[in-house]
Formats: sequence, C-alpha cells, structure tokens
Amino acid sequence: MAYLEAILINVAIYAIATLGLAIFTGYTGLFSLGHAAFMAVGAYTASILTYFYKVPFFLALLLGVILSVLVSFVIGYPTLRARLRSDYFAIATLGFGEAVKVILENFDLTQGARGLPGIQKVSTLGNTFLLLVLAVILCRNFLRTTYGRKIIAIGQDPVAAEMIGIPLLQNQLLSLGISAGLAGLAGGLLAHYTTFIQPSIFSMDLSSLITAGVVCGGMGSLTGPITAVALFVIIPELFRGFALWRLVFYGMLLVIIINWRPKGLFGYEELNRKNLPKLFSILGITLGLSLFMPTYRWVIESRGYEIFALFVAGMTVGIVTVVFGFLGKGLSLALSPVAERYHSFRGRFSKGLTGFGKVDADASFSRALRLESEGNDTLSRTHVNDQAPILEVKELRKNFGGVVAVDGLSFQLREGELLGLIGPNGSGKTTVFNLISSVYPVDGGTILFRGNDITEWGPTEVVEAGVARTFQNIRLFGSMTVLENVQAALHREGTYSLLEGFLRWPNSVPKVERRLRDESLYLLSIVGLEKEADRRASTLPYGLQRKLEIARALALRPRLLLLDEPAAGMNPREATELVELIQKIHRDKHLSIILIEHHMDVVMSLCRRILVLNFGRLIAEGTPEQIQKDPLVLQAYLGEKAYAIVR
Amino acid sequence: MFIQTIITGLSIGSVYALMAVGYSLVFSVLNFSNFAHGAIITLGAYIAWALMVHYLQVPFLLALLLSMGGAGALAFLNERIAYSTLRRRRAPSLYLMISAMGVAISLQNILYATIGAKLYALPPVFAMDVVHMGELTISKMDIFAFVFSAFTIAILHLILVRTKVGVAIRAAAHDMEMVSVLGVNLDVLVGVLFFIAGSLGGMAGVFMGVKYMVYPSMGWITNKAYIGAVIGGLGSLPGAIVGGLLLGLLEALVSVSSIGDTSLSTYRDVFSFGILVILLIFKPTGFFGRHVEDKL
Repeated sequence: MAYLEAILINVAIYAIATLGLAIFTGYTGLFSLGHAAFMAVGAYTASILTYFYKVPFFLALLLGVILSVLVSFVIGYPTLRARLRSDYFAIATLGFGEAVKVILENFDLTQGARGLPGIQKVSTLGNTFLLLVLAVILCRNFLRTTYGRKIIAIGQDPVAAEMIGIPLLQNQLLSLGISAGLAGLAGGLLAHYTTFIQPSIFSMDLSSLITAGVVCGGMGSLTGPITAVALFVIIPELFRGFALWRLVFYGMLLVIIINWRPKGLFGYEELNRKNLPKLFSILGITLGLSLFMPTYRWVIESRGYEIFALFVAGMTVGIVTVVFGFLGKGLSLALSPVAERYHSFRGRFSKGLTGFGKVDADASFSRALRLESEGNDTLSRTHVNDQAPILEVKELRKNFGGVVAVDGLSFQLREGELLGLIGPNGSGKTTVFNLISSVYPVDGGTILFRGNDITEWGPTEVVEAGVARTFQNIRLFGSMTVLENVQAALHREGTYSLLEGFLRWPNSVPKVERRLRDESLYLLSIVGLEKEADRRASTLPYGLQRKLEIARALALRPRLLLLDEPAAGMNPREATELVELIQKIHRDKHLSIILIEHHMDVVMSLCRRILVLNFGRLIAEGTPEQIQKDPLVLQAYLGEKAYAIVR
Repeated sequence: MFIQTIITGLSIGSVYALMAVGYSLVFSVLNFSNFAHGAIITLGAYIAWALMVHYLQVPFLLALLLSMGGAGALAFLNERIAYSTLRRRRAPSLYLMISAMGVAISLQNILYATIGAKLYALPPVFAMDVVHMGELTISKMDIFAFVFSAFTIAILHLILVRTKVGVAIRAAAHDMEMVSVLGVNLDVLVGVLFFIAGSLGGMAGVFMGVKYMVYPSMGWITNKAYIGAVIGGLGSLPGAIVGGLLLGLLEALVSVSSIGDTSLSTYRDVFSFGILVILLIFKPTGFFGRHVEDKL
C-alpha cells in the first residue's frame, strides 16, 4: 500500500510540474528545456525555509513558488524581449538550467553537491492531489479567459497575434510565470516528500521527462501532458528490471511522437469521452505487456513447456489489450448523451443529427441582432469627407538590403474612402501595409493616422489607434475554433482582472464572457460564418478563412481596415459575394478601407479611387476608368514590348 | 604562465572547434540545432575505447579512422531514422530539435544501460610525452590534437570548395529548395553532410577521450562545442572554428584566475553558460552567423 501511495504521490508531483510546462510550452509554442531549474528554485527555497527557519510548510511552499516566478521573470524578460527564434530560446533556457545547477552545487546555503538531507516529510497523497486538482482547475479557468486566449493566440501565430493588438512580451512572461510557479510548487512538494534534495536531481534528465510529457501528451492540452507523465511514472514500475532503459524509452518516444504524431496523445483537446478509447488502449497494451514476463515465468514454473508458456503469455497480452479496448469504448459510449448513443447505433444508416452539440447559434444570434439594431442608430451613413484625411503617408521608404521595396510613396486616404492599391507582383503593395501596421520599421518618411504620427509606434499601439488588417497568406489561429479566433481579437473588452479570471469569479467572468461570445457571434454573422462557430479554423475552406480574417479584424473596432488580397483564390461567384460583403461593412461600420487586390473586377467595382504601384513608386492615381487607360499602368502590367504591340 | 594557459586553451579549443564545425555544418543546411551530435561524439569515443582497450588492441591511428567512420555511419543513420521524415514534411525546426533531443537522451542512456556510468581511459597515446620549450611544457597530445584538427578542418574546407558535393552543400546552405530543383538528390546530399559531421565528431570524441576520460555524458547536449558554435554563429564554419578556439581560451583563462580567495575554476561552467545566454540575447547570430528572418 505504501508502495502504491509512493507511486501516486510521484504522479501528482510530476503532473503539477508538467502542467506548468504545458501552460507555457503547450500554448505559447516556446520550448523551455530548463524547467527543472524552476523546480530546483522552489524545492530549495521551501526546504531551506522549513529546515533552517522552521517556517510552516504551506507558507514555505508559497514563498518557493513566488521565488520561482521571480526567477522566471529574470531569465524570461531578456530572452523573450530579444524575440529569439524558438530553438534559440530553448537553448537559452537549457543554458540557464545548467547554470542554476552549477550555482546550487557551489553555494554554501544549499550545502553544495552534498545536498540537503532530513527535510520534513509533509507531502502526502492528500495534499499533493488536492494541489494538482486545484492547479488543473485554475489553469483551465485561466485558459478560458481573455488572458488565456491571448496566450493561445500568440502560440498559434505571434505575428497575427500582434496584429490584433496582443503585446507578446508581457503575455509570454505571464505564461512563463504561471509555468515556473507550478514547477516551483512541484519542486517544493518533491523535496518534502523525498526528504532529501541535491542539485543533481534537478538535471536535464528531469527537464527532459517533463518535456517528453508535454510533447507526448499533446501541445495545447492540459490533461494530455498530465496523462502522459502519469504513464511515464507508472509504466517503468510495471516493467521493473528495465529501470535503466526508462530514459532510452522516453527518448525514443520523443522521436516517434514528433515524427509521426506531432499532436501527441490529445493535441489541442482535453481528456473527454471521445478520447477514452485511445487512453484505454494504451493502458491495455502497457498493462498487457507488463504481464507478459510474469505470466511466462509462472507457466514455465508450473508446466515447463516453453512454447506453451509463450503462447499463454501472448494470449494474456492480447486478452488484456482487447478487454481494455472494449472497456474504453463502452465507457465512452456510456458517458455520451442518450441522443448520441442512439446515433452511434443507428448512425451508419442515417445521415441525420447534424449540428449536434453545437453552439446554440440562434439564441445568441437574436441577442446579437439586438446589439446590431442598437448599434445602427448611432452610426450615420458613410460620407467621404474631403477635408480630413484619416491616413496620410509622406515620402515613405523601405529597403531590404539593396532592394528598394517602397520608394518615396506619398498618398492620402480620406475618412470613409475605399481606396484600391494595385500593381504588378513585387511592386511593394504588401510592404506598404506592413509599414503602416508596423510589422517592419520604416526607413524614411512619415505615416500620419488621424493626425497622429504613428511612424515609430509599435504594432499593438497602431492597432489600438484603430488600424486593423488581414493577410495575403492567411494567418488565422488554426487550432482555435472560428468563434475563438474572433473572441481572441476582443481581448481588450475583457474587463475582469487576472485573479477573477483564475477563479472564474461568478460575479464578473461568466457575464463578460457571455457578452464577448454574443459579440463574436454577431461579428461572425456579418461575414456569414455564424453556423461554423465551433469548427476549427484551419478546417475551413479557403474562401471562408479569408472571411474569418475580416471578422477578426472587425472585432478590433477599426477606423481603418487594410485588406490584403481578400479575393485571392476565390472563384467569380465567391468574389462577387466578397464585393457585397466589403460594401456592406464599409457602409455599416463607417470604415475607411485600403484594398490590395489582383482581381481587377473586384477593385474596379469597389473603389472610386485607385493607386497603382510599380517598383515601390506611385505610377498612377485616379478613377477605375482613368487607370484602365493609363499608358504607364498598361506598360507596368504588360511590359514595354507587349504594350507597344497593344497600342 | 600566461603563455602556458594560452597554449592549453588553444589545444582544447581546437577540439571544441572540431566538434562545433559538426554542429554548424548541419545547422547551415537544415537550420536546426542538432543536439544528437554530442551523442555521436560520445559514441565515437566509445568506439575507440572498444577497439583500443576493451576488445582489441588496435593502434591509435587506425582506431581514430575507424571511430570516424563509425561515428559518421551512426550520424547518417540518425538522420535517416529521426530527421528525414520531418525534413521531407518541412516541419518547423523546433520539431527537428526535439527529435534530436530524443535521440540524444536515448543514445546516452543506452550507454548507461549497457556499458554503465564508469569512466574509462583511452591509452595515453602521447599524453605523457611533453615537449619543453624554455619554461613551457606542452604535451605532445595537445600538439597532435591541434595539428590534426587544423589539418582535418583544412581538408573539410577543400572538400566544400573543390568537390561537387561540397559545392552542392554550400548551395544547399543558401537555398535547399533551389538545389533540389536543380536536380541534386537531397537525401544523398544530407546523408553525406551527416556522415562528414559525424566523422568530425567521432574524431573530436577520440581526442576528448584521450585528454580526459570516456563516459556516457561527455557529449551531452549542454557541451562546450555547442556553446562554441553559438559564439561563432551557428551555421558558419569559420565562426565555429573561431568560437571553439575562443571558448577554449576563455575557459583556460577563467580556470586560472580568481577573485580574492575564491578560485573561479568551479564557476567555469556557469561562465560558459552565461556567455551562451548573454550572446543569444544580444547577438543570436554570433560573430559570423547569418541573419534568418521569416517572410510574412
């Protein structure tokens, strides 16, 4: 019994540490290979406090957690600020982990490599599991708030996240802090369970175990990594005598998973009834295999035929696996609602029951429509205002090495105007957008937006000022649902505090979240995607993904919308729909729009004024009719020789 | 004394450089940090140990060559098994790095599980012989390691500049897709690349083994060669050489200096990792590395 308890306590402790890494690595996509160092900080702080200063256990644990968080900020601030490539970041954390180990080995208070013996044994099955459950609940709450969505968005696509106004550094630090705090908690618990710690415990091996847990359990999942690490602790116990091969096995598993199943056990999902069969199959196979040798030996001893023993042992493995498989299937079916159970029996023959378990789109939708009608009163119909340019670009310049991408471009955009920006490939159109939205620093010239000089502003500031954009090569948060993509962009409207978010405070969080959800559904309804709300964004067809990008941009409540080839890859019918959509949002949302587009009929039917770029310079400006006849434009598109023939 | 330290630093630095070149060669083409290279280095040392001590008494030079061949073959297999799928799928470099980490963990622990954690010595080939130059004493092994490393790197340079494969490798470092379109068989190219990197690693492993000892964690991910490669700028061969030498020198200098009464030698490793972290933050491309930027 004590043996079982020991295993379970280990499971809980490692699960807390892995949960910590999952919150950081699984969602931000940044790998920390030095997480054992945060565990070490927590373990040493808590142990020194309880051992030398007789501080109460939970207080010591808390102080360990706080110190881990602070240390994580110290290491995280410079490395995250530098925006290292993800693999360089991993190496930096790895170096940090080793450095902490060496420091602990040479520090007097920590008693060097000899370690700290005789720590109180106060971590019990009860308090470790209680803390694990608490940690899971808090993390889960956190991920379902605007704060959590910001972090998930960054992990999916940092550039797109910045373009919807999510500052990277502070959110990544927040995630790292939570992560390090949990690691520190796990460290403190571990120290007060094993009663002895030394620096070599918190080695790269421990970091790799946790990393393997997150990779194998699945990035973007909380329960996946916990399950994986639990298996990692339990499985070696089943295969005793192979203890030395444990790490060999983890290493191979890392290679196998990342090569052939990068989403791991439950990537971007949680443990739910649909995953149960999978989990049970794994359990069945491992349990079956672990029974192989004992059965074999038992049969040999009692009967003595080798072949017979092999057969019986093999059968045992098979039977256990199959039994567990059926158990998983049965449990999954038993847990499903009645309607789906019915569906599963009859399902192959009927096509019905679509949309089961989806968002109750209609109810939210009617609420949203109310919002729309209220909103409409305050909006006046768009009038192009000649006096006040909303955007003014003067002598804009950008070089990439020796290539001049934008060469002294100047233009004005009037409030409420829908301006077309066309030009041959490589003429610098997208670069202009990238400069306005501050993806690239400007090399020369100024950009004025509503009278403010935004030339030097950062991307998130530009978004806050009221500029939103879409991307030429779609940049959605692929693993989030359609609804969440829009919700992520509404992050500025989450009015509750981080603490309330963690606790899912009943007075504020659900109310705000409901409002954000209605708002998102309303925005989706504008582009006609409200029926797809629960679908994963990456599974949408191409044309709909472009519309979702528009909905996401609208969620930022922009004054100026930059649309980068919204009709790319669309067929004529879809393009016509898109034209109507753009006209609608332009009219209803009181927007100024700049449109980059290669579909000439789209540009010509939408824009009253068109700018033509070539080699980063403005070569023509005017109405569609003027542009179509402009010799310079024809030359730019057809080449000089062809133009000579056409003329 | 000072010159003695410099010489010690250069000799260990030359071995670091040899290892760092292997990292950089792979990084330059595949654009990921091949953490498994350290394990290949270790296995190279173990091959030499098996040949020279454990099973046979093979002469040193032959053992060195066989280790190089063996380590090269292992590196080739490593690529085929753990990276080729990801490479063909154009997976993010992070995935390749994780796969490499898995290989490193596995290989190191296979050594623990089979041969054990014991430290083994390679025969002290010329380690005991010293040359006296005035007040300086230099071990012949140090001279040999330095000269042989320099010689090998020179040969590598010739291969990269003069041979068809070398030109293809350099071209692939700029644009792998383009090279593939031009009709180079990427599988073969990457195979050759890993073989070369692996054999350099094997050689470095043997030198390390002679100089220190042979043990499973001698080439662990956090090894000095990697830091050297980062200092020089991952992906740059001259960078790897300069970085390796520089790290050797710095370490030798830190080891003999002290602040007040405390000798800094115990903090030598903190110092190396400190350099690594600081460099990554302020100059992630190192001295010679090229800047890689994603296109939007």
